[in-house]
Amino acid sequence: MKKIRVTGPKTQLENVIDSIYDLGLMDLEEYQGDLEKGGPMDESEELSELLVDIRSLISKLEPEGEEEASIHEIRNVASEISGEVKELENERDSIKNDIQGLEEKKKFYKKLKGVDVNLDDISSTDSLNFKVLDFDPSEFEEETETDQYEIFAGRNLSVLVYRDTVEVEIENSLRNVNAEEYEYSNSVTGRPLEAISNIEQKIKEKNKELEEVNQKYDEISSEWGPKLNYVEDYMTERVEKAEAPLNFAMTEKSFIAEGWIPSKEENTLRNRLISATENKIHIEIEDVEEEDNPPVKYKNNKAVGPFESLTELMARPKYDEIDPSFLILLTFPLFFGMMIGDAGYGITSGLVFLAGIKFFPQASKLFKALLWTSAATIVFGIIYGEFFGFHVLHTPFYRGDLFTEIFYLSILIGVAHVNLGLLIGAYNEYMHHGIVEALFAKGSWILLQIAALAAYLTASSYGTTPGLAVGLGIGVPTLLMLYKGEGIEGIVEIPSLISNILSYLRLFGVCIAAYTLAGTVNQMANPMLASGSLMGIAGGVLIMIVGHTLLTFIKIMEGFLQGIRLHYVEQFGWFYEGGGRKYSPFGGE
Amino acid sequence: MALELGAALGAAIAIAVSALATAWAQAKIGTAGIGALAEDDSLFGNVLILVAIPETIVIFGLVVALVIAGFI
Repeated sequence: MKKIRVTGPKTQLENVIDSIYDLGLMDLEEYQGDLEKGGPMDESEELSELLVDIRSLISKLEPEGEEEASIHEIRNVASEISGEVKELENERDSIKNDIQGLEEKKKFYKKLKGVDVNLDDISSTDSLNFKVLDFDPSEFEEETETDQYEIFAGRNLSVLVYRDTVEVEIENSLRNVNAEEYEYSNSVTGRPLEAISNIEQKIKEKNKELEEVNQKYDEISSEWGPKLNYVEDYMTERVEKAEAPLNFAMTEKSFIAEGWIPSKEENTLRNRLISATENKIHIEIEDVEEEDNPPVKYKNNKAVGPFESLTELMARPKYDEIDPSFLILLTFPLFFGMMIGDAGYGITSGLVFLAGIKFFPQASKLFKALLWTSAATIVFGIIYGEFFGFHVLHTPFYRGDLFTEIFYLSILIGVAHVNLGLLIGAYNEYMHHGIVEALFAKGSWILLQIAALAAYLTASSYGTTPGLAVGLGIGVPTLLMLYKGEGIEGIVEIPSLISNILSYLRLFGVCIAAYTLAGTVNQMANPMLASGSLMGIAGGVLIMIVGHTLLTFIKIMEGFLQGIRLHYVEQFGWFYEGGGRKYSPFGGE
Repeated sequence: MALELGAALGAAIAIAVSALATAWAQAKIGTAGIGALAEDDSLFGNVLILVAIPETIVIFGLVVALVIAGFI
């Protein structure tokens, strides 16, 4: 990155903003200094308001495609379209409400199916009354003393018709048998069966109305939608440009814009600005200084690129820090493959990741990185000779026979991986604070491990005392170095070095678990497959399909989480800080 | 016989208790982490690390269990 400062007369302001925006290479930085900051251009506020309206319309109409239109045209019709859309929405809501009400009524009458009496006839008489109830008629008949009633039983509910004169007795009896009364809405006439067909007719009508409204909606969407999309795009650009001076320093007649530009693009921007303003501005380009906080842009080749997404998941590197994406490419697929190690799961997980690239394009970079892990899983599957838990290939490395070896291998990998982290940490220290600091702060950790190893080796061949002597001989000065380099925190952190290395035993743990889980599914399916009957074989195949599908996802999750955390926690802890600012050029993607 | 039974039980307890401890710690960290993510989802990496840290407990449990069971 290079620091760039553009100074010019206000007359050139628009020219400069347009050029920077069109090029999409300069990351604008807010001006921090004694001069006053600029305000947005005059049109900004008005444009923003219109933009809000347009965006709300777009979110409602969900139009597709773009069609050229002028702001002027849209501005004139925006409020009209908004009004129409609002009206249609209200209409749609009220129709939907009506339909819902009708559906509920229909449900109610369905419960009354079988009651062969017109309830409206009863409510129109003077002497009769009725209730819709959920109750046990025989219990009620025993309970009540009057006989001035009749019960019409329906499918789930019953209708109790009675004379007004016995209302009190009836209500008392109903209370005693815990009857539940339903409210009756009398807007639909006729017997329940007729009522149901009436309601269905009405629902049909309402649905037709709804369709008409939707059609009008679609008409508006297809007439104005593409134009709205076009104007939205265009106006977003205009508003961004209009608000750019907020980052600039302004005097009465001139402006200063500051920002960052990738070193190799320096001349592109300079030439563009000079030609756009006919050399009426002054451009300064400086190298990054220590106190600066430039934005960070990844610079990796095609293979490492996808792994930036995994670095990003943790934190973007700082400007002067080593980008660990390459380290993740180096060991993450290896760990994943070693743990899962099954050609079958390598293929299925690969399919899952390919589907991920297709259906989640915004995360395609991550899935592309994960495809490497599938490849590694297939390779390790071939080394182990496993295919969906079956031992199909007789290689000398069948992991079922090698648990002890994998156990020690895991620790060795841990030692190597952690020390790689320490070496990079030492390099970072060397770049920033010199060789002495690198040796004290990071080298001492490596020496500490050497001390432990030397003590162990001496003790095993010459006895405990010489071993202890060697250990202390190297260990004590190392501890002093560590204290000098990292302070008391360094001493306190010593157990974490051990726990970090032992943490790599999860490679071994997940490896066994993956091996056993796949075997378990096959064992469950085997007796059924061996039964010989058609049903048995079908059941066995079903178990295998369901089991291995489920395991594919479990293994992806385990392999991913356990593999990536060994980087984030155990390795990065020794050197990585992160916290860089994302490079987002003005007008760029 | 009694010794073998004791060793097997010991191994079982080592793995079971450490697994429970990890689960308990992760549950607490996970809840707090989700809360933090709801506020600011750029913290995802940090939260993932915090949730992952207690997993080492169960790995130690596994190692102890394997040592007791005579595997190593």
